[in-house]
Amino acid sequence: MNRKYFALILLAGLISMACTTRVSEWILLNGLPSQYTLVYFHNKPLSESIKNQNQKLAERISTANINFRTVKRQEIAKPYYELYYKDRFFSKYMTNEELKGLTSSPLRKKIAAELMAGKLCVMLYLKTDNDDKDEKGLNALHNVIASSPFGNIITVVELSRNSKDEHHFASLLLNIEDDLVDIQEPMLFGVFGRFKALEPLLGKGISEENINLMLDYFTAECSCLIKDNLPGTDILFTDNWENPQTALVNKIIDDNPMLGY
Amino acid sequence: MQTDTLTYDSLNERPLPKWLIDQKTGYTCIEPEKLVMKEDHSLKISFFVTGIFIILLVVLLTFFINRKHKNQVS
Repeated sequence: MNRKYFALILLAGLISMACTTRVSEWILLNGLPSQYTLVYFHNKPLSESIKNQNQKLAERISTANINFRTVKRQEIAKPYYELYYKDRFFSKYMTNEELKGLTSSPLRKKIAAELMAGKLCVMLYLKTDNDDKDEKGLNALHNVIASSPFGNIITVVELSRNSKDEHHFASLLLNIEDDLVDIQEPMLFGVFGRFKALEPLLGKGISEENINLMLDYFTAECSCLIKDNLPGTDILFTDNWENPQTALVNKIIDDNPMLGY
Repeated sequence: MQTDTLTYDSLNERPLPKWLIDQKTGYTCIEPEKLVMKEDHSLKISFFVTGIFIILLVVLLTFFINRKHKNQVS
């Protein structure tokens, strides 16, 4: 067969497959995470020890979705690091020590493992440590998970916004929108794909109706409309996203096609 | 959602995330094709055409046979 025709048939096959893939699976397979930039600002020529220190840092974070660079600025009093996501400022770090655990942490590893195992998504509940506030949203979340046909393929994870061990992760989440740090309410982040987190539901917005709408988004057929307007922020993480397990959502929808609409 | 230029007085007035608005309005949904039953006249037309064909055939054959028969008699 003519090579051109063969390529055309293959392309048509791939396109038709893409259109029946669910959002969560398509983004895990195809959605490359956006890059962060870590900038070291300094006002004097770099000493050998600082160069070595930054070299080690760059090597340590090289497997994550982050670039490192140094910038000389005369007007600053003391060197420091700043973290940016695209063109948005995220955090400032005064010392190299503060950057320990920036690109990875136990909870992030656990979430990535769940996503690679074919789970639909991870529901990350960011708590305020005020039980009265936290209970309500958590109950709504558990009710939805219990009644959803996709309940078994959703992982629920709780994290305190004041966590010491996961402070980098909590900070990344609270920077997804620029006002989240100031809002002392529980937040629910839908994490999917290659560690992409949707803009959260928060406070009273963590309702069963809204959580179901979030699940509808993850299980929707991946249309070009969605691909062109992908919401969410990619979380900084070092991992290998190659060869994930088959998405578990497919079997549930194959067994019950009505769930696919 | 970028909120850089948005201001709000209370949490209740805080704008919803765009993905949630899109989900609520069905913007991201692909409408399944609506199947509408159309009236099917093909069987009636088929009967009608077949009927006319048979009648025409009978008329023509009758005409030719009669003509042939008359010629033989004369």
